[in-house]
Amino acid sequence: MIVGKQKPFEEIWDMIKNFKKVLVFGCNTCVAICHAGGGKEAEILASMLRIKASQEGLEMEIKQAAIERHCEPEFFEPVMDDVRTSDVVLSLACGVGVNFLSERIGSIPVYPGINTEFYGAVPKAGIFTELCAGCGNCILHVTGGICPIARCAKSLMNGPCGGTNNGKCEISQDVDCAWYLILERMKKLGTLEKLSEIKPPRDWSTGMYGGPRRIVLEHIADSEAQAEKKDS
Amino acid sequence: MYAAKRVTYAKKLLSTVGIDPARLEMYNLSAAMGPKWAEICTEFTERIRKLGPSPIWLAICRQSGMKRSEE
Repeated sequence: MIVGKQKPFEEIWDMIKNFKKVLVFGCNTCVAICHAGGGKEAEILASMLRIKASQEGLEMEIKQAAIERHCEPEFFEPVMDDVRTSDVVLSLACGVGVNFLSERIGSIPVYPGINTEFYGAVPKAGIFTELCAGCGNCILHVTGGICPIARCAKSLMNGPCGGTNNGKCEISQDVDCAWYLILERMKKLGTLEKLSEIKPPRDWSTGMYGGPRRIVLEHIADSEAQAEKKDS
Repeated sequence: MYAAKRVTYAKKLLSTVGIDPARLEMYNLSAAMGPKWAEICTEFTERIRKLGPSPIWLAICRQSGMKRSEE
């Protein structure tokens, strides 16, 4: 899932304090799991903003709403009236949601209430760890299911650097050395010899280094377009 | 234990918006501790009295032009 973290309250307040009608807009998928931007967090943040506004003597109408997903158009319809009648939308969705809603309602500013951090998992309640970098060229089958791009601080492709220290990374004692984990896992899997294979240099253009990415599934995109034509 | 952690978190949120976190407290009591409950209520009421009216209430009064005497 996409992991996010709510922005500091003062930063959020500075963004929205000059608007009269504010909609705090949560997303009930990934960012709800990480307690940053779901419906519950939207309610809490809206309450805090109301308290702040009343203390500052500002007359503001602060509403909150949440939908299941901010990354697909069909989920927006039930709340679009609230969205269109706002002066600003404070989106608690990930950056994808902010971009997507911004495109749909070009005339109303959509501001981010959270910082989108990474693709991660929840090893324990309240702890979120980055496991995937979304690089577009997965090599987990040759690294024992452990991603060196996301989990090695240097995204090294050919083993640990000199900063590995008893299984930990030099950047912090809380960070495992990804290559230590890879070697240990591959020993267990009996596939260590895979690491001796010579690989060509990696093509990094499949990640963000190649510009914004787009995937088109023609068999789905075409049939959707035909259905829309029929309807019209 | 979870509730206690959440109350601590809520205190932090209150403090962020300028509300004294002392206005919120959690006590662990069983249903059989009536006298202790009464004692806590008295103590807590006294604490809130000392802290004065809620800043939210005061802000609302200021906004609506209501006087403290009308509270």
